[in-house]
Amino acid sequence: MADSNVKTIADVEFGGELPNFVPDTSIEATRRFGKFVGWGTPRFTDHEGARKEGLPGAIVPGVMSQGFLGAMIHRWAPDAEIIAIDTVFRAPVQVDHPHTITGVVTDIDEDEGTVEIDITITNEAGETRVFGTATAKLPT
Amino acid sequence: MILDLHTHSIKSDDGRAKVQNYCQWIRTRDIPIDGFVLTEHRQFDFESDYSGLAETHGLVILKGSEVETEYGHVLVFGVTEPLYHAFDFTSIRLPLEEVIEHCNAHDAVAVPCHPGRPRVGMSAHLAEHGVPKGVRIVEIYNGGSRADEDAVAAQMAEELGYLGIGGSDSHIVSHIGRCATEFPVPVTTEAELVQALRAERFEPIPRQH
Repeated sequence: MADSNVKTIADVEFGGELPNFVPDTSIEATRRFGKFVGWGTPRFTDHEGARKEGLPGAIVPGVMSQGFLGAMIHRWAPDAEIIAIDTVFRAPVQVDHPHTITGVVTDIDEDEGTVEIDITITNEAGETRVFGTATAKLPT
Repeated sequence: MILDLHTHSIKSDDGRAKVQNYCQWIRTRDIPIDGFVLTEHRQFDFESDYSGLAETHGLVILKGSEVETEYGHVLVFGVTEPLYHAFDFTSIRLPLEEVIEHCNAHDAVAVPCHPGRPRVGMSAHLAEHGVPKGVRIVEIYNGGSRADEDAVAAQMAEELGYLGIGGSDSHIVSHIGRCATEFPVPVTTEAELVQALRAERFEPIPRQH
């Protein structure tokens, strides 16, 4: 069962799930992102250009994926302060492919007011593309 | 008895899971395993004592290693001080056949893991290096591999007559127990694990969750 409406650390349970997050991995989104951060490289914004670089198609920038993870955490707990997001990129997150981000609480430090969250980005085949952990501080 | 034979904790450079949280997760989520083996990358953890955690949670917690060879990554079960000093665990290009010889000489077992993966899996290197001598068991179910990578591993095992084990290759808490290995006898120590593997009495369990 997904936890929602988390306001303080007392609302969090070990093993509690964050609501799943479906990121916008469309080519329009990566082009917008590229424009704002000043990245025009084809690997993020153009499928054909990315294929010329040996990729299967355009891929979502890693830092954009990390942004999705932050957005998921803030939808779950709007007042959370994200201390760290630590990711392992196992495979590219492909543009225009549906992905789902899941999160689950795997550690709670009530003294510090922090929680650790396992995060996983999977594609439509259920393959893990990115995994990692996030540490967030919640109001006590 | 079901053990996850391939896990990593924060002792590994890319591991993010605390052992205590693995235990808590297994019990909270009723993960159907009786224990797990910590196979930290390029090292053996002689220092940590997990006996208290194991007792508290009623789990078996064993230790092994994951070393790196010209054929990719290899799990080593039954690591002892003499074996640890027989070759350089920190090397990223150990000769697989030498690792196997050292393991055989020190009552340990070497098991190539995720052999279906590009670069770090054994099947990717067979064309270049040929079939290595001494391999008896490979990991055919790996919780971190794609389905097609596990299929390559299973096909290679069938063609070369290898037995298969399963392990989650978990690096974060919630991935533990995704794959595992079932033994018909109790396995509560590293020595018993080696004995059971050498007796070739086990069954790999594919991804469960």
